[in-house]
Amino acid sequence: MPRLVIDDLQIEVPEGTKVIEAAERLGIMIPRFCYHKALGSAGACRMCAVKFIHGPFKGLQMSCMIDAQDGMVVSTTDEEAVAFRRQVIEWLMMNHPHDCPVCDEGGQCLLQDETVSGGHGLRRYPGRKRTYHDQYLGEFIAHEMNRCIHCYRCSRFYQDFAGYRDLGPMQIANRVYFGRFRDGPLESPFAGNLVDICPTGVYTDRSSRYKARRWDLQRVPFLCIHCSLGCSTVASARYREVVRIEARFNESVNGHFICDRGRFAYPYANLADRPRRARVDGEDASLAEAVRAASGRLDQISMNAGPDAVALVASDRCSLETLAVLKRISREKGWRHPAVFPRPDLEHKTRRAVSRLDRRLAVSMRELESADFILAVGIDPVHEAPMLALALRQAFREDAGIVVMDPRPVSAPFDFDHVAIAPAEIGGCLSRITEALSALQADSAAQGKETRRPEAAGPLRADLDSRIAGIVERLRGSRNPVIVCGTDIVRDSTPDRAADLARLLLQLKARPCLFFVLPGPNSFGAVLLAESPGRSFSDVVQDIEQGKVKALLVVESDPFKNFPDRERLERALDRLDLLAAMDYLPTSVVGRAHIVLPTCTVFECGGSFINQEGRVQRVEPVHEGGIPVHQVSGGGHPPRVFSHEVPGGEIEAAWRTALEVAGYTNARDNLSILKIMAEEHPGFARCRDIPTSRSFRVLPDAGDRPPVCEETGDRAAPEAADTLEVVLVDRFFGTEELSGYSPVIQNADSEPLVFLHVRDAEPLGIAHSDWISIALEGGGLEVRAGVSAQMAEGVLVIPRHRLLEWQKLGPVPAQIPFGRISRAGKE
Amino acid sequence: MGAEASKSKPDIGHQVLVCRGTGCESQKANLIYSNLQDEVRKHGLTGLVEVKFTGCHGLCQMGPTVVIMPAGTFYCNVQPEDVSEIVEADLMNGGHVERLLFVDPKSKEKVFDYRDMKFFNPQRRIVLRNCGFVNPEDIDDYISVGGYEGIRKALRMSQVDVINEVKKSGLRGRGGGGFPTGMKWEFCHRSPGDQKYLICNADEGDPGAFMDRAVLEGDPHSVLEGMMIAGYAIGATKAYIYCRAEYPMAYERSLIAIEQATDRGYLGKNIFDSGFDFEIKLKLGAGAFVCGEETALMASIEGKRGMPNPRPPFPAVKGLFGKPTNINNVETFANIPVVMTKGGDWFASVGTERSKGTKVFALAGKINYSGLVEIPMGTPLKEIIEEIGGGIPNKRKFKAAQTGGPSGGCIPASHFETPMDYENLTQIGSIMGSGGLIVTDETTCMVDMARFFLTFTQKESCGKCVPCRLGTKKMLEILQDICAGRANMRDFNQLMELAEDIKGGSLCGLGQTAPNPVLSTIRYFRDEYEAHIINRECPARVCVDLIKFEVNEENCKMCGACFKACPAEAVTWVKKQPAVIDKDKCIKCRSCILACKYHAID
Repeated sequence: MPRLVIDDLQIEVPEGTKVIEAAERLGIMIPRFCYHKALGSAGACRMCAVKFIHGPFKGLQMSCMIDAQDGMVVSTTDEEAVAFRRQVIEWLMMNHPHDCPVCDEGGQCLLQDETVSGGHGLRRYPGRKRTYHDQYLGEFIAHEMNRCIHCYRCSRFYQDFAGYRDLGPMQIANRVYFGRFRDGPLESPFAGNLVDICPTGVYTDRSSRYKARRWDLQRVPFLCIHCSLGCSTVASARYREVVRIEARFNESVNGHFICDRGRFAYPYANLADRPRRARVDGEDASLAEAVRAASGRLDQISMNAGPDAVALVASDRCSLETLAVLKRISREKGWRHPAVFPRPDLEHKTRRAVSRLDRRLAVSMRELESADFILAVGIDPVHEAPMLALALRQAFREDAGIVVMDPRPVSAPFDFDHVAIAPAEIGGCLSRITEALSALQADSAAQGKETRRPEAAGPLRADLDSRIAGIVERLRGSRNPVIVCGTDIVRDSTPDRAADLARLLLQLKARPCLFFVLPGPNSFGAVLLAESPGRSFSDVVQDIEQGKVKALLVVESDPFKNFPDRERLERALDRLDLLAAMDYLPTSVVGRAHIVLPTCTVFECGGSFINQEGRVQRVEPVHEGGIPVHQVSGGGHPPRVFSHEVPGGEIEAAWRTALEVAGYTNARDNLSILKIMAEEHPGFARCRDIPTSRSFRVLPDAGDRPPVCEETGDRAAPEAADTLEVVLVDRFFGTEELSGYSPVIQNADSEPLVFLHVRDAEPLGIAHSDWISIALEGGGLEVRAGVSAQMAEGVLVIPRHRLLEWQKLGPVPAQIPFGRISRAGKE
Repeated sequence: MGAEASKSKPDIGHQVLVCRGTGCESQKANLIYSNLQDEVRKHGLTGLVEVKFTGCHGLCQMGPTVVIMPAGTFYCNVQPEDVSEIVEADLMNGGHVERLLFVDPKSKEKVFDYRDMKFFNPQRRIVLRNCGFVNPEDIDDYISVGGYEGIRKALRMSQVDVINEVKKSGLRGRGGGGFPTGMKWEFCHRSPGDQKYLICNADEGDPGAFMDRAVLEGDPHSVLEGMMIAGYAIGATKAYIYCRAEYPMAYERSLIAIEQATDRGYLGKNIFDSGFDFEIKLKLGAGAFVCGEETALMASIEGKRGMPNPRPPFPAVKGLFGKPTNINNVETFANIPVVMTKGGDWFASVGTERSKGTKVFALAGKINYSGLVEIPMGTPLKEIIEEIGGGIPNKRKFKAAQTGGPSGGCIPASHFETPMDYENLTQIGSIMGSGGLIVTDETTCMVDMARFFLTFTQKESCGKCVPCRLGTKKMLEILQDICAGRANMRDFNQLMELAEDIKGGSLCGLGQTAPNPVLSTIRYFRDEYEAHIINRECPARVCVDLIKFEVNEENCKMCGACFKACPAEAVTWVKKQPAVIDKDKCIKCRSCILACKYHAID
């Protein structure tokens, strides 16, 4: 480990550490523009010049380009270095427009900071400033090229780090331009990071433009709840309105960046039509009145029809607090345990995944970046867990091999081998890989048999053999392989198959190697708190239809979004004596509920969530709640409504209101909720001891505990000739619930396509982007077809898109006969 | 050779060499070539006389040229319609077409054999040994002069022995840096890696330099052979020639050469049954000067934006596609076959103590014979300019020579006797560079020349690092101000300050050397800068804004040259009276200044 002296301070750093980094460890922040921890050195800005006094390098050198070496003596304050850095700033300010007063970057601008700290104040350059035309780069990002100081961070992030090509440098010399070859939305789903990464105001967040100055914002370290990964963010609010989300560095989860869904989904918290007033039978009421009404009616029904007639419905966007409270009150009241998952298979797969994960197996997203071979099954990374795609890209950049086994036409910003097979075949392939691998491991052949389940290896297509053999070979040859497994489209037994393979790899390589992607932000927490066997919403519907359930308390959940048979759902809900909804979104259920109890978003009340690797992450509220100032006063400022109460401020966290509905009026403080959580799951006891800012994993130590096998038949519609299996999938935009309410995302979203293989499409006379009509149980569905050769045959991939009435589908799993798909006349 | 012999037909073995390098080709050398073929056929000389097209002879100023071998008759400025005369007078009758012969500028005598010409005589041709004599599009022609013997010999030696032979030769990189070639190979040879690459840098972008072009146009096979030897020595099996797009003919001929060599099995698998595999790909540059910088060049080959990257890692460790890579320049490679066949010791016998072999210079500017010359290292500048280059036209005085193009500096008259080698040039503040040699006389303004080169580097900056991107812009604006008489001494001081910061703070060689022309002209011609700034005067009468356009009656010899030259009828002149310029009519075109031999216009 090299030992060096920087500004008279000695430090020892690992081999390969740059001098700029070593200085930072000493607390010396050498000025920089182009250097960025995630992007590395470029040597473009020349801002980090320091003087090397002794050692292998001498004189003025860039500290970002030189590895720390033994015997180096470095001065960051040497006169020559300081003068040179001042010169650099002067050069950069030659062309900068000095539009700080109207620039959104003002107050968080690195160029501002370095200009002030560098001491440049007087303009000596009499020439004209070079100017540019700006481009339209889509709904998310505003472009202001005149401010550019050409640090190349944007293109290095966009092209090298994230792997998209449509934004980059053009021209040379003093004319270098960063943009697209012509105006148009940026193609990368990670483009929003340009806002964070640009050291000045070239790329600013369009959604929050001109809304606030940095120093006026309420800012809180926050958490993204728009998929199961749980990336770290910073949320900013002003005047009771969330105005901006930025990425926050997290060593274990997302690194420095987040995806655009996570960044631009926040407007759901500011919606004008968000439920702000409690309602009872269509009439506005105070929250207390509505709680009383709900409490009374629920007790009534419990008394008349038995407590079993009351069912709770929640979702995986509920915080851990809410889920724990719902579990508590359902148990104490004798109500039905909350149904969190919309479908039984989803609940089953999530539970299997969670139960198979332990401390030795689970790999974090950042650890995954250092894998040298990754087998991803049943997952379309960009759409289901976007930041996973970025992590895989980092592994790819370090020469990792990546195989994706998935029926969808997967596209991702890295090269991978796509094994396009139907969901039914994935589990079998995994079993065969496990078998082959353990057979190869001659010594432990007997052990290998234990972990394998014979019924799994079904008949597989012959052409798969060589590909499987290839995967086995690569798994054997790799030092650090990782199995990534999705839980949405795969069969019920697949997570177990993936875990079996991962366990075998753990024996062989002694490194953590299992990464599940779960259906939602708190799916992990939901199954930790669930009874076994759990119940899903479709079971609840069945019970309503059979008259067993009379009252439904729906907490932060929208069955209309998830349930595949809308007509049946409507009929069932109509049968209820009481439909009570607690939510912060203007959902369909809220619209038809007898009693509406508005709740706070996580921005207003904070909460805990467990991501897909079992990491408990907690956040504090960003602002205290209430209707945004500009909505109260009709957009005018200053507001013209005066009262003692904050408008809309009586709303509380769902768990508080739920406790009150259940009659626990004195357990609503923060300490009580920690107690409830600890009582409901011993793993949450640590929440009391660990500060909110730190996360921890609730995973069993396990070691070599034998996997608990739980046999259930795979839920699948019986295969029949001339049918296509329906695969319902998520998309980057348009399927996730919260972001679906964001106007910016709605504007940026593209038309949903239903995908089928070219060999399935040809006999039907369907070509790519043709309008097709699919006769579903609940009526015809008109949609554009995507025809691809890069996907499995025999499947029809339908996104659960908000613009698509896929809820006409009827019972799932489903098969659709070819005869019910035809070209539509529509053009 | 006299004109007395009059035979009806020449002996077998006569060759007519038509230069079809870019310079001559642009003056209808292709027509001369086809006319010659027609005429030879018409006169029934087919089989007796071989009409062959070749690359550049070097004397581009006098092109198109036709050489009759073995006599060595050198015809200059040949036009297509002269062809029948050449065939009849020379080939049929053994005489000469005297009006096309080269005339010695000093003795005014006609030269019959090119070997007697002052232009060729002092030259020592190693790199250009075949240029002008072999058909660049015919591999057999190259083989007939001993081509591909070097690689055969190398393949019989061990890799280390080949490297040692090159080290012994003392050959240094001809691209400009002058790094010992053998050592460079050794680094790459020792660098561990399953795949190594070799690159030939043919992205010759310096204004006024055309050595590499001439070699690739005139003798591409020797470059290929040099690359094969290098590839064998370092253990590379794949190679690229990165040829700039502005050299279509060099590209075309290299392509033909690669195809021919591949057809012969000289390139490909198991070359000469030695087990050595080697393939060469030709990569066309996209017009950026910076791509001559090795890391930018590699980025460009990889399909990325051509921008330099920090070194280390050096290409020998982590180069093209992240693999160990060796990059040499065209001229360096062209030396290699000779080093192999004649031996390192022989090569080291040419040149000076630390600069071995020869150097090709592209002579341009204020010189009688622009063209390519190859001289042993250590030849004094004076000899190159006065002997080989035929001196400066119009009896003007030598002022300075710019070497190394926009990265180099100037050599003033006070260093006229300097022997040209790496060390001497560095010592006097210039560099060898790739070999551009631009000669200036008293009608050249040094401030203007610095401005010219800086305009070039400023435009060609890749835009990556700040000093080069913005600093050169600022320097250029100050230089423009100086030329326009708008600058003061504070600006001048800032210019020097900027130059030092850019030199010390830029990422790659382009930026680090961009201020050189300014620094070196300030070093030797500070008075000119001061004249511009303080006196608002351009001593060379180049900077238009500083010229008064008034006739200096003291100097005026009343010859009327200015009167004749003026296109705007602004000059009035009566015999035996000084001319007068009407400033209202004057369009400041400088025609009068260029015409006046007596420096009589202020």
